[in-house]
Amino acid sequence: MNNKLLLFLGLFLSASLVATAQDNISPARKQAIDSLALEKVKDLSKYISIIGSKETQFSEANRVMDRAEELFAPGAEMGVSSINTQEIAYYKVRRYFERLMALNYDRVNITWYDIQYISDLERQPDGRYVGVITIYQRFEGTSIETGMNYKDTTKKDITIYVEKKQTQIAGRTIEFWDVMLGDVRVTETSA
Amino acid sequence: MRKTFLIFAFFIAIIANVPGQGLGSPGTIKDDGRFAASTKQLNQFFRRFNGEESIDGTVRFYPGDPLYRNIPLRKGFLNILFDNQTSSVSPDLKNQFIQNALSEVYPNYLVFHREGWYAEVETDFIFKGKKEKATLFMKIQPEGLGYEWVIDQVKFEPFKNLFNKPVGDKKDFLHPLSHELGFMNLRRAFQDSNSPESFTPTSYKPDYLAIFLYEMKQNNLRFVTVTGLKFHFFQIQGWYFEVNQFNRPGFNTGWLISNLVRLGPGDKETILKYIYDQE
Repeated sequence: MNNKLLLFLGLFLSASLVATAQDNISPARKQAIDSLALEKVKDLSKYISIIGSKETQFSEANRVMDRAEELFAPGAEMGVSSINTQEIAYYKVRRYFERLMALNYDRVNITWYDIQYISDLERQPDGRYVGVITIYQRFEGTSIETGMNYKDTTKKDITIYVEKKQTQIAGRTIEFWDVMLGDVRVTETSA
Repeated sequence: MRKTFLIFAFFIAIIANVPGQGLGSPGTIKDDGRFAASTKQLNQFFRRFNGEESIDGTVRFYPGDPLYRNIPLRKGFLNILFDNQTSSVSPDLKNQFIQNALSEVYPNYLVFHREGWYAEVETDFIFKGKKEKATLFMKIQPEGLGYEWVIDQVKFEPFKNLFNKPVGDKKDFLHPLSHELGFMNLRRAFQDSNSPESFTPTSYKPDYLAIFLYEMKQNNLRFVTVTGLKFHFFQIQGWYFEVNQFNRPGFNTGWLISNLVRLGPGDKETILKYIYDQE
């Protein structure tokens, strides 16, 4: 996680130091929030690639899983379905990562398509905003012993929660917009 | 048809040439235009329908932007928002709908927060130890500081034959002078009859959602999973359409219009009655 970048973006997003209690998100602010959310999604993508890689040591994978988990709001789940079944299997985020790490392939290659879609932000009853970022992932796993080669492309719809928070810096109250990831819907595509 | 193809080809050509923003790392795969063309979220369906985003979806247009709800942009989008592979919507009906939506005098737009659209969610539940399908009809409503999805109705097969009010001679009744006897004959009604619903007004309609929630509270119903989702739209004056997700190879994928009906007087109520299936 690039903490410096996040702090910078957080400050950049700060509502002009204790802004008025405005509730609407302007297009400019929305764009800044999108950038921050996309940074988190990029971090998640990077972590998934590291966790899924067979070259990653067990202890390192666990450390990265901790970092990845920190991106998510408590209780977030992964909902996974395949082409063959519309039924959704639900996993807690940590469990999903552990399953990814335990895959029985000798070589795993996870890559991402250069396309993403960011929804509008909608306000929910508790005042927080919610949005969805869609990205596409390519997975390739090879088993040397059996010669099996498995490939799939999945669409990941990632919930983002956006909340205005306050912090004290040098005695001054600063408001900033924070982004957390939430539930992720993973769908296998026909691509 | 040829015109539609040309518009579609035009879109794809442009999309294919748009440099993707990507996730940043050097190992990213270049999209050949299929994912860009796909209507990836229902949010994108709304934006494309209204002409509120760029062709590649990376720029959101707001009121005041020159391209916000631009007619040629909308026209291009509306043409690709239909399932062009399996749907039985005729090109003529589709064109009439598009003309109607694009009307210069009274253009029609979709509004996320306005009534007139519903989600139909297919689910699996365990009911008294057995796996059963339940269809939940959901709608958006204002709540607190924002909005929420709520369950408006439920369709659940085990409840369908729960209330079968007999008709004609077969229907039990409480005779019209029962009150003179202090309704002592209720005993017969409730103990001797298998159809207590016989003693309800003609207008009586069982509230299946209430029963569904009650059974859930009694731990007789346990949610398993979601198996399907589609949307019904009545927001465009005089039209009904259904939106489904198409996960298939090619460019005509994602959330697309799969069914379109021009509404006459009373048709909306008939379709709603059919969809909700609460009889």
